Amino acid sequence: MLRVRSHGRGGQGIKTASQIMGTAAFLSGYQSQDFPLYGAERRGAPIVAFTRVSQKTILERGPISLPDLLLIGDETLLEDPQAAPICGSDEQTVLFINSEKDPQILKGSFNLPSLPVTCGLTKLCLQYLNDGMVRSTALGAAGARLTGRISLEDLLESVEIELDVMGIAGQPLQSNLDLVREVFGALNPVTIKEREESALSPSKLMVLEQKEVQDAAPIITATRNMVQRKTGNWRIHRPEIDYEDCNNCMICYARCPEGVIEMDPEGKPVIDYDHCKGCMICAQECPKHSIKTLWEMDYELEPQ
Amino acid sequence: MNSNLNKKRMLTGNKAAAWGARLAGIEYVPAFPITPQTEIVETLSQWFADGTLQGKFTNMDSEHSMFMAAGAAAATGVRVFTASSSQGILHGLESIYTVAGWRVPFVMVNVSRALATPITLEPDHNDVMATRDCGLIQLHAETCQEVLDFVLMGYKIAEHPLVSIPVLVNLDGFVLSFSREPVMIPDEKAALEFLPPFKPVQPVFRASQPMARASAVFGGGTYTYFRIQQDLAARQAETVFNETAREFAERFGRTYEPVERFHVDDAEVVFVMSNSFATKGKSAVLKLRKQGIKAGLLKLSMFRPFPGEAIANALAGCQKVAVIDQNLAPGMGGIIYPEIVTAMYDKKDRPKKILSVVGGLGGKDIKEDDFLSIVERLNDSESKRPLYLFDEGDWSQFQQLQKIALV
Ligand code: SF4
Ligand code: SF4
Repeated sequence: MLRVRSHGRGGQGIKTASQIMGTAAFLSGYQSQDFPLYGAERRGAPIVAFTRVSQKTILERGPISLPDLLLIGDETLLEDPQAAPICGSDEQTVLFINSEKDPQILKGSFNLPSLPVTCGLTKLCLQYLNDGMVRSTALGAAGARLTGRISLEDLLESVEIELDVMGIAGQPLQSNLDLVREVFGALNPVTIKEREESALSPSKLMVLEQKEVQDAAPIITATRNMVQRKTGNWRIHRPEIDYEDCNNCMICYARCPEGVIEMDPEGKPVIDYDHCKGCMICAQECPKHSIKTLWEMDYELEPQ
Repeated sequence: MNSNLNKKRMLTGNKAAAWGARLAGIEYVPAFPITPQTEIVETLSQWFADGTLQGKFTNMDSEHSMFMAAGAAAATGVRVFTASSSQGILHGLESIYTVAGWRVPFVMVNVSRALATPITLEPDHNDVMATRDCGLIQLHAETCQEVLDFVLMGYKIAEHPLVSIPVLVNLDGFVLSFSREPVMIPDEKAALEFLPPFKPVQPVFRASQPMARASAVFGGGTYTYFRIQQDLAARQAETVFNETAREFAERFGRTYEPVERFHVDDAEVVFVMSNSFATKGKSAVLKLRKQGIKAGLLKLSMFRPFPGEAIANALAGCQKVAVIDQNLAPGMGGIIYPEIVTAMYDKKDRPKKILSVVGGLGGKDIKEDDFLSIVERLNDSESKRPLYLFDEGDWSQFQQLQKIALV
């Protein structure tokens, strides 16, 4: 059994990537299973998806805690303690990171358990799809290639099937297929050792004692504790206020759905970047068009 | 390329449910969205919109009206499908009881999700257990394939002249509803041969032909008559399930029984489970056997009618049984546990010990190691209380959250 875990952010096509691998493995004659995990979050929030590939019936369900192949579609996740994409991987886990950085440097800075395989998928996505955001086909192709179990032909067919479900046909489909060929060619299969089945050992179950009702019922007495949940790295786009132009009308302050724009003592709006999710509603609402939309990462293209 | 694709397709549990309904040639769907069920009605609405399905798809204002509309449409003799989950099922509960008593056949899918409070999106079985006594037939699916097959078989059972009761097919939210695995989609013609268009055997509502259903009754005798009739019909559904499963196996090659025995025959310890976590249980059984523990698993595919005899026969002679309930009746424990004990009570060779285990609540995983803990508890003759699957990791996680929540 091969267990693949894919990490990325809402909107990047991580679920589709896991499905492309799932269908490709299935077309190549394997049993496969894929499963995304997301809560009530949205675009930009960390997302994880799983693909299991096996010659035998798959007797597992749900999340994969110890992956054989770990695909990180967005390198900013490496710094996110909530996403903790490396968590649960060991020396035997093959790491793939969508990054242009030197693998040695990545290993050192993020304390990775092994030297990662890297490829700059975002750049390739920009080149082929004119969109660096959606990485489903590129990441799915990278994963499928690294397993060494899936042929290019089955992978291309899988991409056609999965994109067809999303209504993607014609030239956009062709561009995706070209992207798949490029990624497939750029990477080599890695050796992934079948994990030894570990013997079961009893869980550390515990007996709960009854607590007083204030501790036993779901009561929250702490105020403003949402501040601790930093959502700033959900941003794909970054709003930036041009203070030369802004007339302090407070409309952005009123319209930000996250309530993360504050008016400073001089009456100027200030964005709290630790929590701004980058929805860009403020930019839409600003009557003076004083809020610019920038890419969070320095891509070459202008945001649309 | 591989010939796999012609026969099987990667489907989520939700899509498999929609495919089951599609192959059944459903004519009417009253719908109301709720996570994690929404993908089912979304898929169906698309098929109605693009002409794949002929009939009517109606967005309702609530689950309460939705189940009422499902029953009312079934009473006109059309084939009806609907789906819900969790709080939605609870909101519709009054209507579910009501239309089940009308004795009209249709199929509903419940995508299991734990109930408030606290509210969550993740699965357990308290929602489907809340419909336990409504008078529905209940089939619980472990795999995406079972979801599709049970929906198709569900119509045949629901519409059988001796049953005429709505069938509920249950699948776990997230773990199955959003998981894709290869599913064999029966050929349309074969599905139609197995399940011809619905021909009601009872009078149905027609324009200009006045009749009434479900009028009020007074004096308990009449009421009792109808209720006993409902019970008899529900009990009949087990035989009908077996007949239907036999025909299904002949046509499609997949065999189903009210209970599935996995390494039960020589087992010294048997786990009783239902739904998708049974897959994890099966894996644990194989591992325990490698460690020298003769384990087995009994999966309940049918929950209503309760297949007590089949369960008793399967568990007869087995020394130790653990009933794993992914639900909790506070003040009582697991809901399925007492039903299993009742089924075994008058059997001479009943198990020496039947342990109640409560786990997998609100999306909490049941780990393979937990199964070894269950075996250990079964060997400890002292304990009387249910075993709750809550471990030190859960506790420390909770404590961290509590620090944030409390001043
Ligand atoms: S992008 Fe603007 S509106 Fe959206 S969260 Fe950030 S500051 Fe608020
Ligand atoms: S809406 Fe625009 S002009 Fe008004 S305060 Fe905000 S940035 Fe300034």
